[in-house]
Amino acid sequence: MADETHDKRTRKPRGRVGEGGRKLHSAGSAVVVTTFALGLAVLLNAPGVHKSATIQQEGWKRDLALALTGPLKETSEALYLDQPRRGLKALAGRADDDDIDTGVAVPETPAETPVTPPPKRKITPDRKLRIWVAGDSLVIVPGQSLLRAIGGSPVMEPVSEVDGRIASGLERPDVFNWFKEIPKRMRKDKPGVVVLMFGANDDHGFMTGLPPGREIEGGFGSESWEAEYRRRVGGLMDTVTRGGAYLVWVGLPITNDPAQTARFDAINSILVTEADKRRGRVSYLDTYFFFAGPDGGYAEYVANARGALVKMRADDGVHFERAAGDLIARQVLKRLHQRFDLSSWRRDAAPDG
Amino acid sequence: VLFPTATFAIFFLVVLPLSWLLMPRGERWRPFIVAASFVFYSAWDWRFVLLLAASIVWNQAFALAIHRRSDATKRKRLLALAVAGNLAVLGYFKYADFFLTSTNNAFAWAGVDVPLEARSVILPVGISFFTFMGISYVVDVYRGDFAPTGLGKFAAYLSFFPHLVAGPIVRPGELVPQLDSPRDPRYVDTSRAFFLIATGLFMKVVISNHLATSIVDDVFGAPNQYSSLDVLVGIYAYAVQIYADFFGYTNIAIGLALLLGFQFPQNFDSPYAAVSVQDFWRRWHMTLSRWLRDYVYIPLGGNRGGRLLTYRNLMLTMLLGGLWHGAGWTFVAWGAIHGTALVAERWWHDRPGYVARPSTAWSRAWKRFVTFQVVCFAWIFFRADSFADAWDIIVRLFTAWGEPSQLVTGGVLLAIAIGIGSQYLPRHLPLAVMARFSRLPIPVQAATLSLALLVVHALGPEGVAPFIYFQF
Repeated sequence: MADETHDKRTRKPRGRVGEGGRKLHSAGSAVVVTTFALGLAVLLNAPGVHKSATIQQEGWKRDLALALTGPLKETSEALYLDQPRRGLKALAGRADDDDIDTGVAVPETPAETPVTPPPKRKITPDRKLRIWVAGDSLVIVPGQSLLRAIGGSPVMEPVSEVDGRIASGLERPDVFNWFKEIPKRMRKDKPGVVVLMFGANDDHGFMTGLPPGREIEGGFGSESWEAEYRRRVGGLMDTVTRGGAYLVWVGLPITNDPAQTARFDAINSILVTEADKRRGRVSYLDTYFFFAGPDGGYAEYVANARGALVKMRADDGVHFERAAGDLIARQVLKRLHQRFDLSSWRRDAAPDG
Repeated sequence: VLFPTATFAIFFLVVLPLSWLLMPRGERWRPFIVAASFVFYSAWDWRFVLLLAASIVWNQAFALAIHRRSDATKRKRLLALAVAGNLAVLGYFKYADFFLTSTNNAFAWAGVDVPLEARSVILPVGISFFTFMGISYVVDVYRGDFAPTGLGKFAAYLSFFPHLVAGPIVRPGELVPQLDSPRDPRYVDTSRAFFLIATGLFMKVVISNHLATSIVDDVFGAPNQYSSLDVLVGIYAYAVQIYADFFGYTNIAIGLALLLGFQFPQNFDSPYAAVSVQDFWRRWHMTLSRWLRDYVYIPLGGNRGGRLLTYRNLMLTMLLGGLWHGAGWTFVAWGAIHGTALVAERWWHDRPGYVARPSTAWSRAWKRFVTFQVVCFAWIFFRADSFADAWDIIVRLFTAWGEPSQLVTGGVLLAIAIGIGSQYLPRHLPLAVMARFSRLPIPVQAATLSLALLVVHALGPEGVAPFIYFQF
C-alpha cells in the first residue's frame, strides 16, 4: 500500500449502490454513525452502564467509570431516556436488574449451640430432604455433581437448579446481594439442607455495604476486614440455621497461584472457626487437600485409584472440572448421611418376613 | 478483548477513524493495524503476542524460501518443515495434555505403570485460527496459487484483529489483495456492516446467553434432574446456542472488517435448513469446511481413488475436524458421527440402481428434519464433558417422559424459534432491510442503531460469557 496514494478528490463522490440496492456511504459517515449510535446507546442504557461501572473491581478504572457514568445516568433520567430500558427490563421480568442494593442484613447475635448434637432426623420418601445449592461460580460444577448424585434418590430432591452467581461473594452486595437472597430463598423454598460456597471473589480489601461508621483499614486480611467478613459469614450461617436448615459450607481449594491460595487460606480460617461455633448445625467441608499433588502443591491432574490421570481443575487454575465436582459431591453426601437418617425408611418399607 | 464490551467499543472508536486517516499511506497504515491488533490480542495475555509474532515470522520466512527455490524436492522439504512447525506449536499448546493423559491412561488400563506428568499448558486464544491461516499461506505459495507478499502485509493479514481470535479463516487470496491498495473511503458498505453487527450482538448476547443460562447448562450439568422433554428441548437449545454464539461472533467480525473497508468471506448460510449432512457442511463454518477440503481431504486423495478410499478420506477429514475443535475424545466422536453420516449419504447415492427422485416440498422438509436430528445427536457429544455424560443425556432422553418439565419456558421456546426460524427467512428480506436502512438520513441511522443496542443490552444478561469458539 506504500506507493498507492489516492489521487486528490475534489469532486463530490457519486452515489454507488451495492448488492440488493444498498447505498454505499463514506468512511466519514461510518465514523459518525458509529460514534453517535454508541453515545446514544450509552444514554439509553445508562442505568445498566452505571451499575456495570459500580460493580467493577476497586481501582482507577472503576473510579473513572463511575465519574463518567454517574452524570450520564442523571442526564438519562432527567431526559426520561432511561424509560425504554426500564420498560424492556420489566417486560423481561427483570425490573430490578439495574438496582444496586448494598444492604447487609444478618442476625447480629449468634444462636446458641446445643451442648449435645441433635438426633439424626429420619428422612422418608413422603418427607424428602430438600437441598439448595448456592454460591459464586465455584459452586456450579460441584453443585451439578450433587444434583446428579441425588437424581435417583427417593428421599432427596433439589429445591431448584444450582444457584451459582458469577463474580458474586460476600464482600460486594452491589454485585449480587446474597444477604437479601438467602433469607428470601429460606422463606420461599424451605430447604432442609443448604450447601454454600463463597470466597473466590472475596480475596480483596474492598467491601461495600459497611454499617455506618465502619471502615476497612489496612485492606484484605486486616483486623477490621476480618471482623466485618466474620460478621457476614457468621450472619449467613445463622440466617440459614435459624431458617431450619443444616448448612454445609464448602471451603476454598488450593489454586495455581500461591498468593491467591494464601488469601483463600485466610478466608478458610474464618469459615472454619465460624462453623465450629455452630457445630451440629453447620459443617465446614475442607477441600484443600483433595486437589493437592504428591508434593502438596497445586495439581491440575490427579491420579485416581486405578492410576489414570483425571483432570480436576479448569485451565484458569481455580475452577473445578467435573471429576472434582463429583469428589466434592461425594463428601457432601457423606456429611448428609452423618447428619440425617437417609436409609432406615427402606427397612420400614420392606415387606415383613 | 470480547467484542460486546465497553473496552472493545472504546478501542474500536479509536481505531476506526485512525485507520481511515492512515489508509492512503500503506507504510503507515500497516504498522498501525498490526500494532492495534497486537494490543487487541494482548488484552487477553500479553505474553502470547510473542507467539503470534513468531508465527508471522516463521510462515513468512518459509513462504519466501519456498518461492525462491525451483528444486521440487527442496520446496517439498521446506513446506513439510513449515507445516510441521505450525503443527508442533498447535500440538504443544492444544494437544500436549490430551496426548499425555491419553497415553498414561492407556498404560494404566493395561496395568502398566508409566507415570507421565501432564503439564497444565495454557491454550492461547485463537491459536487454531491463525495457525490454519499460516499453513494455508505457505501451502498456497508452494502450490503456486499465491506469490508471497511483504512482511508488513503478511503481518496485517495474519493478525488483523476482526478475524484474529475466532475466524472466519480467511485465505491469503481473499485478504492480501485487499491490502495491496487502499480501500476507497467514499464507498463503504456501512448498512451491511451495521446490520451484521446488530444481528450478531443480538444472537450472541440475547439468544445464545439466554439459552445457555436458562436450560442448556442445567440439562447438560445434571440431566437426571430433568424430564425427557427438558432434555430434548435442552439439546435443541444447545444447537441454537452454539449457532447463535458462533454466527453472532462471525457477523460482528465481518461487520467490523466492513467498517474498516475489508471484505471477509461468509461463514454461515442457514445450516439448520440443510437437506443432508453434506449440505450442512456447505453451510456451517464454511471457511473451516473448505480449509479441511483443500488442505486435508484433497491432499489425502479426495474422491480420486475409488469409493472405499473416498469413504476413508471423508472419515479421516471429519475425525481431524473433530479433534481440531477440542482435545478430547468426545470431539473425535462428534467428528466420527458426521463422518459416518457423510459416508452413509455418499454410499446411498453411489449404490447401483440409485435414481435421484425429483425434490418436493415434503421430501425437502423430511430431509431437513432428519438432518437436523443427526446434527443435534452429534452436538450431544460435542457439549458433554465425557462419554458417560453423553450417555446420561441419551438415556434420560428416553426414560423420563411424563415427568413435569422445569426448564421449558416461553422464553426458551421463543429463543429457539428465533434461532431456527431466522434460517428460513426469505433471502431478499435482510437485503431489503439493509437497502432501506442505507437510504435513511445519517442521524436516523445512528438512532436506529442505538435502539438496537438498547434492546441487546437490556435483554442480555449481566456480564458477557466468552464465545464458545474462543476455546478452539
